[in-house]
Amino acid sequence: MSAAENRTHVMLHLALGAFTLFAIYPILWVLTLAFSGGQSLVVVDLPADPGALDRLRSVLPWPKTLSLQNFVDVLTQEPFARWLFNSAIVAGLTTLLGVFLACTAAYAFSRFRFPGRRTGMMMFLVSQMFPGTLMMVPLFIIIVKWLHLGNTYAGLVIVYAVTAIPFCVWMLKGYFDTIPVEIEESAIMDGATPATIFFRIILPLAKPAVAVTALFSFMTGWNEFILASIFMDEETAYTAPVGLRFFVGGFSSQWGYFAAGSIIVSLPVVALFYYLQKYLISGLTAGGVKG
Amino acid sequence: MTPRSLLAQPVALGLVLGALAAALLSEWFFMQARDELLADRQQRAVVMQAMALGDQVAAAEAGEASEAGVDRLAGVVQHWSQRFADIASIRIVRSADATLLASTDANDAGPFPRRLAREEKALYDLGQTLRANAETNAAEGVFRKKQLDVVRLDRTRLRVAAPYTVDGEVRGFAQVQQGVPAAPIRPDLGRAALVIGLPVVVFALAMMAWRRRGARAPPAVELGLAAVLLAGALYGQSTAGLRELADRHQAYAAELAQTYNAIRQAFDATASLTGAVAGGDNRWDVDEYLRPLGVIGGDGSLQRAALDATLDIRENHLRRSLWSAAVLGAGLLAFIGLGYGRRLRQTLVEHRIAYGYVTPAIAGMLVLVFFPFVYGVTLSFTDTTLFNENLSLRELWIGLKNYAVILGDFHVVRGTDGDWVVNYQNFYWTLFITVMWTVCNVAIGVSVGLVLALALNTKGLRFSNVYRVLLILPWAIPNYITALTWRGMFHKQYGVINQMIQIFGGEPVSWFDTAFTSFLTGIVTNGWLSFPFMMVITLGGLQSIPQSAYEAAYVEGATRWQQFRHITLPYLKPTLIPAIIISVVWTFNMFNIIYLVSGGEPAGSNEILITQAYKIAFEKYQYGYAAAYSVVIFMLLLVYGVFQNRVTRATEAIA
Repeated sequence: MSAAENRTHVMLHLALGAFTLFAIYPILWVLTLAFSGGQSLVVVDLPADPGALDRLRSVLPWPKTLSLQNFVDVLTQEPFARWLFNSAIVAGLTTLLGVFLACTAAYAFSRFRFPGRRTGMMMFLVSQMFPGTLMMVPLFIIIVKWLHLGNTYAGLVIVYAVTAIPFCVWMLKGYFDTIPVEIEESAIMDGATPATIFFRIILPLAKPAVAVTALFSFMTGWNEFILASIFMDEETAYTAPVGLRFFVGGFSSQWGYFAAGSIIVSLPVVALFYYLQKYLISGLTAGGVKG
Repeated sequence: MTPRSLLAQPVALGLVLGALAAALLSEWFFMQARDELLADRQQRAVVMQAMALGDQVAAAEAGEASEAGVDRLAGVVQHWSQRFADIASIRIVRSADATLLASTDANDAGPFPRRLAREEKALYDLGQTLRANAETNAAEGVFRKKQLDVVRLDRTRLRVAAPYTVDGEVRGFAQVQQGVPAAPIRPDLGRAALVIGLPVVVFALAMMAWRRRGARAPPAVELGLAAVLLAGALYGQSTAGLRELADRHQAYAAELAQTYNAIRQAFDATASLTGAVAGGDNRWDVDEYLRPLGVIGGDGSLQRAALDATLDIRENHLRRSLWSAAVLGAGLLAFIGLGYGRRLRQTLVEHRIAYGYVTPAIAGMLVLVFFPFVYGVTLSFTDTTLFNENLSLRELWIGLKNYAVILGDFHVVRGTDGDWVVNYQNFYWTLFITVMWTVCNVAIGVSVGLVLALALNTKGLRFSNVYRVLLILPWAIPNYITALTWRGMFHKQYGVINQMIQIFGGEPVSWFDTAFTSFLTGIVTNGWLSFPFMMVITLGGLQSIPQSAYEAAYVEGATRWQQFRHITLPYLKPTLIPAIIISVVWTFNMFNIIYLVSGGEPAGSNEILITQAYKIAFEKYQYGYAAAYSVVIFMLLLVYGVFQNRVTRATEAIA
């Protein structure tokens, strides 16, 4: 390695290191608040006339005392465990329903030619542009007033699963298209029924795409908070995002609970994200090219 | 003519199916209406009890010797539960100081009054909620929050809590749990069978008569006859059903008037204990916002005009539903009668496997995406708000007025020369902010992402995987958490960012107080959130560039910049352009960041279109106006979509 190359690498490491620090600083800060054991936004109390050193200490992402109290409290004292449970149920059922709806529809769009196929796919695309705010009032009327599904899991699950359909269908269809038709044709020769082909041949072959669909549906259910806050007005029915906002929104400022809760909520999504990011990106760009 | 040969005729089949659908749907609507009527009757009976008791408590509390008055409450409650056998329990709670004044609930241990126990916190919370709701409504001058707590324990048991007010302040509540009479409500299937059977039989007879004369009726006559028969049957059904509803309405009102009289007697009998005065009006028969209904007068007489008005509202509501059922029936008749049914059936049978697969998804999309969309667009032509929701859309129809107000108001800047203010609520201002917001964010995302990707792609750079994993984190974390975190960091007094500024001797900035700094908070947060996506996309694109291209350039003596300009960028284009297109749409609609970080502060100057539409709908409750606003957003995105399609086609053609 030449000296000049070495020097560029050092410079690069410096720049990248500084930027990475900037990028993860807010995350370190949330960790600090979570482990501080207190509810305040500040890490240390500043003296009346703080010097630069005091201030430097106050921006350093390290708590004055390390404590797990916030985690314990948020799961036992506050109804957060309940909200987490609600979110888990909602996201889990959304995943199941979303994957089922998307796989069946995408398979039909990919393999069959039937009247309405083009129209259907175009409609799915256009529906992606419907602004959420236009749908909220009608959805509220349908789900809460007509179907009486306010404060229930079912109301949120069907809305989440259905709104995730267009993206999932387009992505899955792209993947199904790459599976050679010959496999199915030979299966038909061997006497396989359409259901066997779908469940035993196509779905296993499309595993990566199904995984992304599942992740996307799960994230929709796990992270959404606007519809959840409109549909769920009883505190026991809140989902985790609505609950987290409840900690620091309006006039309450329980930053410790918020931080601890945020970490608990983020862990599964971040883990899933890292596990599946490769697929997620290819799915997004594939959808982007066509969309 | 056998039934089989009759059903082979499209018109007859259409008549059967149309009548079946319309008649059953109408019966279902009738059943719903009866159910609602019964629920209303049950609720009002208990509400009157709770309200009357509330008046007693208020009088007892307000009396001179208030503690003695409170003691006498036990007598009132006793008297009440002896007189009304269907009352299961009564609780009087003064939530202002968390005291249970009286209770006949078997689970509540005496003696009363006593402080609420820890596990009875729900009662205290209920009192606080009722007080907060009353104050909210009074402060806003509207009826938005419910001021009564009505809980349906099951079909025949209700629990109602009514607040009592002393010196203009909600001090606590009276809670009554009561059994309410309920006969099971079933659809009138006999009537439905008649509505379906009669036109079909008449139609069949007419057809037979025609055939006996040796000719077939012309199709137009057949269809016309079927339509007339269907309309007649449905008209009969709706007249009968509406009359029954009116009778029930009248009967329930009479029953409620009796209940009122009984409560009034109980009230007068116990008034001496607390010094309460009933007054001339009926203040106990109220809706959930404590507004007197005025149907039953103070002396227990029925007020004809008010009674008819409440019936009118119910009837109009029901009529609209009945019309939709009739339209459905007529539509089915026309569709099948004109022969489309057969063709549709053939197509469905031919492609049954494909349709089987798509049906679940399509059905869901129709109900929860396309129907809401159509409904929303319809709303945009009305001036529906939270407060006139019960009126029909036809009465609220205002045509294009919402659009004219949104798009036709060009007064972005007000005031005379030198001294002007921006009208932040103006659509064009919000559009300007939205465009600025989108352009800035996408520019930051792309440039930061590109630079980072190039840096990480440097050959032989160690730890590049570590950097990559850490730099993706902002994307992996749910964005509402990010937004709330940054909101905390921008806090004026305690936020970390101001602390940093002070390290370098600067003054703390109140970030959300001026339009520019508030805009910056959004940009920083969203920039932080969106660069990883672009970085990852670019890294993927960089990997597809063949090394030989650079080697050739090196041999030709190209500079670093020339390599970047003529090799890297052109190769990246097919990956970058779709990513940019998609992130433009994402940023344009990035609700969470604006809503959670700055909330559009100050004075709505930083709203983007989507958050503005949300606020109009859910903070100002102007549903119609918000819908029109959203339709405008949709149109902008649609135009962008068409434009984007052209661009991608063009780039594909070049590539």
